[in-house]
Amino acid sequence: MSDEEQSGWQLTESDPGVFTELLKTLGVPLIVDDLYSLDSETLATLKPIHALIFLFKWVATGDSDTGPGSSSGAYDPEFPGFFAHQVVNNACATLAVLNGIGNIPSLPTGSQLQELLSFTTGMDPQTRGLVVTSADWLREAHNSLSPPSAISLEGLNLPRKTEEAYHFVVYLPYMGAVYELDGLKPHAVRHGGFSEQGEGWLKTAREVIEARINTYPMGSLEFSLLALRDDPLPSLQTQIQKAQQAGNKAVEHDLLAALANENSKRERWAFENSLRRHNHVGLIHGLLTSLAKSGKLSQAEAKAKEAMKKRIEQRRARGGDMDEDD
Amino acid sequence: MPVSFDRASTLLAFKAGRAFRQDATTTVTADPAKGAILLSNGEDGLLHFMWKNRDTDIPEEDLIVFPTDATFTKVAQSPGRMYVLKFSSSDQRHFFWMQDASSARDEEFARNVNSILEDPENPLQWGSSEPAAEASSSTSAPSTSAPDAPANPTTTPAAGGFQATPEQLEALQNLIRAGGSQTQGGLGGAAGVAPDMSLIDILTPATLTPLFTNHPELVPALFPYLPSDLPLTPSAEVLERIVHSPQFRASVASFDQALRTGLLGGFVQQLGLPEEAGLGIGPFLRAIQQQADRENRESGARMDTD
Repeated sequence: MSDEEQSGWQLTESDPGVFTELLKTLGVPLIVDDLYSLDSETLATLKPIHALIFLFKWVATGDSDTGPGSSSGAYDPEFPGFFAHQVVNNACATLAVLNGIGNIPSLPTGSQLQELLSFTTGMDPQTRGLVVTSADWLREAHNSLSPPSAISLEGLNLPRKTEEAYHFVVYLPYMGAVYELDGLKPHAVRHGGFSEQGEGWLKTAREVIEARINTYPMGSLEFSLLALRDDPLPSLQTQIQKAQQAGNKAVEHDLLAALANENSKRERWAFENSLRRHNHVGLIHGLLTSLAKSGKLSQAEAKAKEAMKKRIEQRRARGGDMDEDD
Repeated sequence: MPVSFDRASTLLAFKAGRAFRQDATTTVTADPAKGAILLSNGEDGLLHFMWKNRDTDIPEEDLIVFPTDATFTKVAQSPGRMYVLKFSSSDQRHFFWMQDASSARDEEFARNVNSILEDPENPLQWGSSEPAAEASSSTSAPSTSAPDAPANPTTTPAAGGFQATPEQLEALQNLIRAGGSQTQGGLGGAAGVAPDMSLIDILTPATLTPLFTNHPELVPALFPYLPSDLPLTPSAEVLERIVHSPQFRASVASFDQALRTGLLGGFVQQLGLPEEAGLGIGPFLRAIQQQADRENRESGARMDTD
């Protein structure tokens, strides 16, 4: 059995809806959004952004520990903020979130998180990682968005398995400098100061991230970027009220569209999260029963056999071990 | 060697270029090459999402897509006509930009791409249908303004009823892991016997959608099996969304794998099935058919309406 199974931390999807739900459980009024671009206009629409989460998988072989990109910036063993090492693999998404929110000044949080943060103040990153990952309530919050253990049988699922190779790094501003918090590195990495003018810390962060991406050979890197940002709903509502009072129809219209977008995204997240938490075996049984009752099961079975036959022939034609096995 | 596409049937094709971001910047930049996106049913019986260079006529990208695994959506953050093909089973992303002279049909192509990605048998829909009035906004989602009040169905299935004991699970997991290297055979001991079918191919949207439409009387019986915290009121439409979801598909895949071990005897009894139903997919389906026949008979042949 691997460490992960013993640790009781389950693998979770790195999806904005999952992160946002976790933040809600932690009592933090922030959300996470997918970021498809680091250009200033995109970033401006998401402001204020408190941290960027860079998650990547380095698909090339080599010394993955020190990999390229680690040359920029300098270790800061004196980093006074919150930095926890990634001591449990499956916990990396939650640890990344903590490394982010642990360094946002005067952020309201739930009491359990607040206790945990203050309890670990002054600890070295390794101890902090251990303390954090041994918090039952945090593990439960993290696990609550993976399928219930009944028949989930994680680890069977090849696509999911690959997710374990994902690595999370947080970039954020801290006391006038951009820091990189990578739970697999011994210390926080300081990337130099930034100007509060214009784009502020995001300009420096973009340069650092882009430089890092460039050190990987073309095509050897799969990555996603996520933005940890203020929940835009309250401010949207205030702005809409203001626009209404000012009678500014055009602005109001745009704001209402943005609000509708945001709401439909939340609705989708809530829907997906409820499916993530659910054990679908009952439904599977029910659906098969309905097919059987309507006399359609044997037909579906014949189709499924046909599909499988084709797939096997296909695999053979390609020389046996094309896709699934490696 | 380019594959021959003669026998592959093209389902949909339109002009589009590629866009990349892994280059010198994280910004997604459009590649000027003229191209086309083609979706086709390959000779292999699988759905192919291809990108072909229109100058050289060579397909430079050929992705095999499993039903419901991918979506094709507009990149809201980009001012241009940029779309992203996103996979739910991995973090793979492929960017494209529409190259048709007019942008009028962008959403229409995207809608049809998604329809095929959900189920290659879905019929294409051309021409602007009713929601065209809102086509100007980039939200192509069938935005059901969901009632905020979470619907709490009164009957929640005893989720506990499906729990395997931790011991059963552990035994199962160990066995599966032990045979894992063989992947296809499930249990290594089964001498590499390939499975003859998968539940994933049975519980497809293509099979289930007609069921929901043609047998509305069977639909409410499924509601108790839906998540109790679902933010929508259960309905045939909601069921459809669920059977399309990667989360449901992943559950089906896991359960399929578990069944293949042949070790679910104790577990299936909790579903009211005889122990032998846990011996594999074939026995499981046979037992369900028998259970269904019995229930049909008991309910007095009220079912023979069609």
